[in-house]
Amino acid sequence: MSTAHPTPGQYWKIAAFLAFVTAVEVAMYYIDRELGLGVLNAAVLLSLSAVKFLVVIGWFMHVRFERPIISRFFAAGFILAGSLYLVVLSALGVVAIRGG
Amino acid sequence: MSDLAQGAAVTHHDEHESTGIESRKLGMWVFLSSEFLFFGALISNYLLYSHRGGFEGVYPAAIYDIPFTSVSSFVLLMSSLTMVLAHNALSRSDQNGARTWLFATAALGSVFLGGQVFEFTEFIVQHDMTLSTNPAASAFYLLTGFHGTHVAIGVIMLLSLWGISRRQGGLSDRQGLNLELVGLYWHFVDIIWIVIFTVVYLLSVAPA
Repeated sequence: MSTAHPTPGQYWKIAAFLAFVTAVEVAMYYIDRELGLGVLNAAVLLSLSAVKFLVVIGWFMHVRFERPIISRFFAAGFILAGSLYLVVLSALGVVAIRGG
Repeated sequence: MSDLAQGAAVTHHDEHESTGIESRKLGMWVFLSSEFLFFGALISNYLLYSHRGGFEGVYPAAIYDIPFTSVSSFVLLMSSLTMVLAHNALSRSDQNGARTWLFATAALGSVFLGGQVFEFTEFIVQHDMTLSTNPAASAFYLLTGFHGTHVAIGVIMLLSLWGISRRQGGLSDRQGLNLELVGLYWHFVDIIWIVIFTVVYLLSVAPA
C-alpha cells in the first residue's frame, strides 16, 4: 500500500457521488425518451457508467493504493475482454443501443 | 496462543510472494480479471439478440421497470459502501463495527436478490416472458441470472464471515484477508452491475 486509505467519512462522500451519478443516469434515460437525444444520450450514459466503474475500482477496491501489478492484471483482463467482444459485435454489425 | 494470535502468526509465514502481494490476493485479482471474459460474452450475447426482430413473444427491453431497477442498482451500489466500511473497521481493529457492516452488506445483497426474483416473477407471470420465449429473453435471463448467482455466492460468503466473527468474537489477521478477498469479489459484482444497468437496461431498445 503506497498511500493512506480513505477515511469512513470520505467513503460516505464517494458513495454519495456514486448515488448522484446514478440519479443523473436515470434522469438521462427519461430526458432521452422525451427529447430523443440519440447518440448523445448513449455517449453521456456510457461516460457516466465509466466514471462509476473507475471510482469503485479506484477507491472501494483500493487499486489507487495498491502496487501497479494489480491494476495491470485487472486492466489486462478488462482490455482483453472489451477488445475481443467489441471486435465480435462490430463484425456482426450490432448497434442495438438507444441512439446507436 | 489464542486463535486470533495464531492466525496472525500464520499470516506472516505463507501469505507473501516475490511480488510483495499476498498470493491469495493476487489470485483473486487474476480470477476477477478472467471474469470479465464471462460477463463480456453474456453482455455481447444480449446485445446480439436484444434488437433482432422476427421472433415471437415480448422482448425484455419492452417491459423493463426502470424505476424499480434503479432502486435495485442503488441498493447494490450502497452495499459496496457498507463492504468497504467493514474492511475499514477491521483495519482499525473495530471488530463490532466490521461485523455490523458485514451483516449490512449481506442484507443489502439479499434485498437486491429479492428484487431480482420479483422482477423475474413479474416478467414470467405478468408478461409471459420465459427463458424460451425468444433469444433476447434467453440472453437476458442468462446474463442477469449469472450475475444474480454471483451476488448469491457473495451473500453466502459474507454471512459465513459474519458467523465466524460472531462465534469467535472477531476476525483474525488471516480471516481479515478473507474479508478483503470477499470485499474485492463483492465490489467486482457491483462494477459488473454498473455496466449491465447502463447497457442492458438504460440503453437497449426492443425491435419495432
